[in-house]
Amino acid sequence: MCRCSSQTKKRIFLIIGFVLLGFVLFSIVPAFAQDMTDAEYRPFPMIGSRNAAWIAAQLHLLFGAFILGVPMFAVIIEFIGWKTKEERYDRMAQEFIKLCMGAFSTTALLGGVLVFILLWCYPKVMSKLSGIFGPTMIFYVVLFFGETFTLYLYSYGWDKMQGRHKGWHLFLGVLLNVWGTAIMFVSNTWLTYQTSPATQYGKLSEKAKEGWLEYTLSQNPELTRAEVLKDVTDATVTNLHNETTGEFLGTVWDAVNNFTWMPVNIHRLIGNIAFGGSIVAAYAAFRFLVAKTKEEKAHYDWMGYNGNFIALCGLIPLPFAGYWLGREIYMFNNTMGVNMMGALFSWLFIIQAVMIGILFIGANYYLWSGMGRIEGAEKYARYRPIMIAIIVICVGIWMTPRTLSSISTASEQSAMGGSNHPHLGWFGLMTAKNTVVNIVILTTFLSFLFYRRSGKHPTANWKNLGNIVISSIFFLGVVVIVVIGIVGFAVESDVRVNVLTPWQVLVALAVMVVVTIIDIFMYRKATTSGTIKWGGMTDRSQYVLILLAITFTSLMGLMGYARSGLREGWHIFGVMKDTSVDAYTPSLSSAVNMVSIIMVIFFALVGFIFWLGLWGEKKKQKAVPTMETETLAEGND
Amino acid sequence: MEKTKSLKNPLIKITGLLLLLVSFIAFIAKAPAFPIASENLLPWSVWFLIAALLNMVVWGILVKLMTYVLAIIWFFALIAAWVPDTSTVTATLTELDWDDPEAVIEFGEAIFKSKGQCSACHTLDTSAPKGRCPDLTDIGNNAANREPGKDARTYLIESLYEPGKYLVPGYGKIMPEVWKNPIALTKVEIAAVIAFLQSQGGEADPTPFDEPIDRAEVGTTAEALPPLLTGDPEEGKRVFIDAACISCHEIQGLENPKAGEVNEDFEVVTAPKLTEIAAFNEPRYIEESILLPDAIIVSGYGSVTVIAQGVTYQGTLVSQDTEKIVVRTKADDGTETEHTILLSDLDDEPIEDLTDLKGRGYLTLTITPIDSDTPVSGEIVEESDTTVTLKVGDETQTFSKTDMKKQMTLPDYDGNQIVGELVSRDDFEIVLIVDGKEETFDPFDFDDSNFVVASASGKRLKVKSPMPANFPDLLSFREMADLLAYLSTLTGATAEEGSDEATSDTQEEATE
Repeated sequence: MCRCSSQTKKRIFLIIGFVLLGFVLFSIVPAFAQDMTDAEYRPFPMIGSRNAAWIAAQLHLLFGAFILGVPMFAVIIEFIGWKTKEERYDRMAQEFIKLCMGAFSTTALLGGVLVFILLWCYPKVMSKLSGIFGPTMIFYVVLFFGETFTLYLYSYGWDKMQGRHKGWHLFLGVLLNVWGTAIMFVSNTWLTYQTSPATQYGKLSEKAKEGWLEYTLSQNPELTRAEVLKDVTDATVTNLHNETTGEFLGTVWDAVNNFTWMPVNIHRLIGNIAFGGSIVAAYAAFRFLVAKTKEEKAHYDWMGYNGNFIALCGLIPLPFAGYWLGREIYMFNNTMGVNMMGALFSWLFIIQAVMIGILFIGANYYLWSGMGRIEGAEKYARYRPIMIAIIVICVGIWMTPRTLSSISTASEQSAMGGSNHPHLGWFGLMTAKNTVVNIVILTTFLSFLFYRRSGKHPTANWKNLGNIVISSIFFLGVVVIVVIGIVGFAVESDVRVNVLTPWQVLVALAVMVVVTIIDIFMYRKATTSGTIKWGGMTDRSQYVLILLAITFTSLMGLMGYARSGLREGWHIFGVMKDTSVDAYTPSLSSAVNMVSIIMVIFFALVGFIFWLGLWGEKKKQKAVPTMETETLAEGND
Repeated sequence: MEKTKSLKNPLIKITGLLLLLVSFIAFIAKAPAFPIASENLLPWSVWFLIAALLNMVVWGILVKLMTYVLAIIWFFALIAAWVPDTSTVTATLTELDWDDPEAVIEFGEAIFKSKGQCSACHTLDTSAPKGRCPDLTDIGNNAANREPGKDARTYLIESLYEPGKYLVPGYGKIMPEVWKNPIALTKVEIAAVIAFLQSQGGEADPTPFDEPIDRAEVGTTAEALPPLLTGDPEEGKRVFIDAACISCHEIQGLENPKAGEVNEDFEVVTAPKLTEIAAFNEPRYIEESILLPDAIIVSGYGSVTVIAQGVTYQGTLVSQDTEKIVVRTKADDGTETEHTILLSDLDDEPIEDLTDLKGRGYLTLTITPIDSDTPVSGEIVEESDTTVTLKVGDETQTFSKTDMKKQMTLPDYDGNQIVGELVSRDDFEIVLIVDGKEETFDPFDFDDSNFVVASASGKRLKVKSPMPANFPDLLSFREMADLLAYLSTLTGATAEEGSDEATSDTQEEATE
């Protein structure tokens, strides 16, 4: 029997209550939806159905991303602590999981609210989805139970499972991540199917292939099976439905394995790490700013640094994953892709560029600021102006719109000779944007490299050669990326999308991997000239961490609008028409206002959870006045 | 130090906090601005910034952080409010007035740029970088030459229904079948797009045609769904005010918050009162009036530009009968003058294109039949694609639209021009009969961009709605639905008690 405090028991019962509520809701989805198909839509009072579903879904997703992202790095940090035998890592990982516990019940509650709203407001849509995805919904519930009980064991068993049980505790942490990732993958199937209800012929089940063939033959009775299959390859985009009736022709797996499922899975997996890291860093920044003692400041400075490092690790590969997702959207439906990047949502991507620009500038600023508390880091300060200039110029290019027809007057267009600026217009093309993104990523990587090297002196006798090689790799990498970018202006979009841009990405990744390997070997036996003065960060840098967390969150909200809005007037793109009053994609400003409202609610809830943690801790400290204060964390990370 | 202390007075702190929250909510909710009623965005942002700065000074760390979080969210919303807004869907029409080519072309252009998503790939600008699909400048002319034996219209119909049929060299087969899901253009919408494309360098021929497909097989409908009155009337009222409808249209009991301000976006004119618009008109009529303002113009509210005896009159058409019109013009100082103009005093305008003369506002026609040297003038009675019937004196005469002499005007680069009857024309010489004598001219001596070849001349009275032509483009689908829902509630029942005279005026205007 668990010897937990009564407060902990209450919390467990509360969480179990929420989980059971979620279970009940998911269990009744198919039956409930089946009985409600008479009505297509029901209005949600005051704010309308779409807004209600939007708010609940986005909040659920944000909390969900947090509780899925944080355990990923918590278990890695715990493993580092176990291997290095440094207790501070273990304590930090435990603190991360405590934050998770606070958010877990909120996630379950919001999930329940979302299901209620969807069932009430969109019965026909839910009926259609549950008809196809019923088995996955049951699977989801099982996974959710697995996640819940593993999280309890992992969190509440932390102190008990030290020493010889640590390996089992780590196993629980890994299992927790397996459950979490599986949960996300399953729920992603429903929404990605709504966006891209098709797949490639080679990925279809035999049942779906047969269903599609029969349907095609019924539409073209003059053709034979051989004639239909003559031009079909494994890559042929194949609809999963009878286009006339909307009847689903495949198996559950066909619906699951749709065009955007795996790219969204990977994008979200990496995004959750970045988001989780940034929220943890923001929490640390909050605690740093309200800290009363040097020890507290030191601890939360260290925690903020780690949170930001994790966020950066997620942020750097995120554009690559986003690119893959975009490419799959183009492959599924060219018009949808064009609509996303070149038409309806093109200005959204300008705002996205502003936000990602803020993320990269903020992350670099934090690293540079952090170097101020490391003795011996001064020698890298001279590179900062150049790096700032590179990032600002690149972000400026990234933010350049392609066509100015919506924001220029007739006389301005006449002076420009069209709706594109004669010179700056080139920056609006994707090849220019892809080029500068890669350069920004490499510059940020360089900032991190400088941070890592600060206060250290390599002892390898080939250090000068190593530095020359690393500099040459950076230089050549940037030259190759720029040359590929310039070539991209002159080739067909197919070549650019499928050949040139992947090469740019590979070059950037190769530079980072090779330089990291060389650097690790070069600094393996490095001497240290000074320790990091944890707690020595400025308040300004902590505000930057909060800025990064809000920007990450807003970006997730904005891109959620894009992903969902791409369907335009469809519940299931091309299959099930939205005939409600909301059958349109709202304007960008309206959408961002809605995202802003969601952000306020989210940060109010997160702030409340943070405050609860602080409050509970103060009470504990009062009750146990002799408790040890945080020891100064030192060392070179 | 003292100043900071005095700032930390609880009253100032609470005021700062309240102002912060109110200005943030008002900004996000797009509430009417205070105290400046010109732009919603800026004044609330100014209030928010003042409050944010105040709170950062007077409050402790927790409120500071809250202010900081709100400020970042506000900043992103501000950027989004600055960039152009886009909406996904244009309102749908189930039928078009085929006798009004300009309206059809206008609707086709709207579909081209929005629901049809054509402009995402096709450009209409030869200077633009090479797009994903061919540039469509002059497509109305070029389409006729793409396939031997196929006129422009047939080529365009086949290209829209079967996009892979005629691929322009250098471009891939990426265009979707726009009549299928998910774009699912209706037959009417495709016809309008074709008319719009024909008008790009060619002549539009907006007439219905048989679709080369069977829509029953693909599950899309030929006609758009009828509009539903599913909008929110209260939101519609806000749209009516925000979209500046209220600047020109009066609704009894609804106050214009910007009354008396100068509107630089468009000319404020007197427009029909709408207090009882829904009592005497179907929602379909109201929708059409929003989407196609020129379709039916309430008498006394049309905008005209006429030239009579060399003088140009631009203003509101007050009245019109068979002999005269009354035009009300407005001077820069606001003085209004009514001018009575005899129709016989209107100046003849050269007419290059003889299609749809009545639809384009021509009242009379002067032509010279090919077998005659004497021009014939008369009132246009009726017309077909190939003939026009004029009332000449007391009798009617029918003429072929193609068999008539053409007048050509050759302007030189010094502002002089030569006018004569066109005999023949090629790239190297133009032969005209000037003052009864045949003369040959070198085209390179003249400004060929301003050559005018007129088959006839005529008196024209084209009445247009003073509503901004791009008004439908400015509204999202939701705003359109809300506005329609609001206007459909205006049966007069909710208006305040007005004078009998005002009520009878409104009824009269609404039914016209």
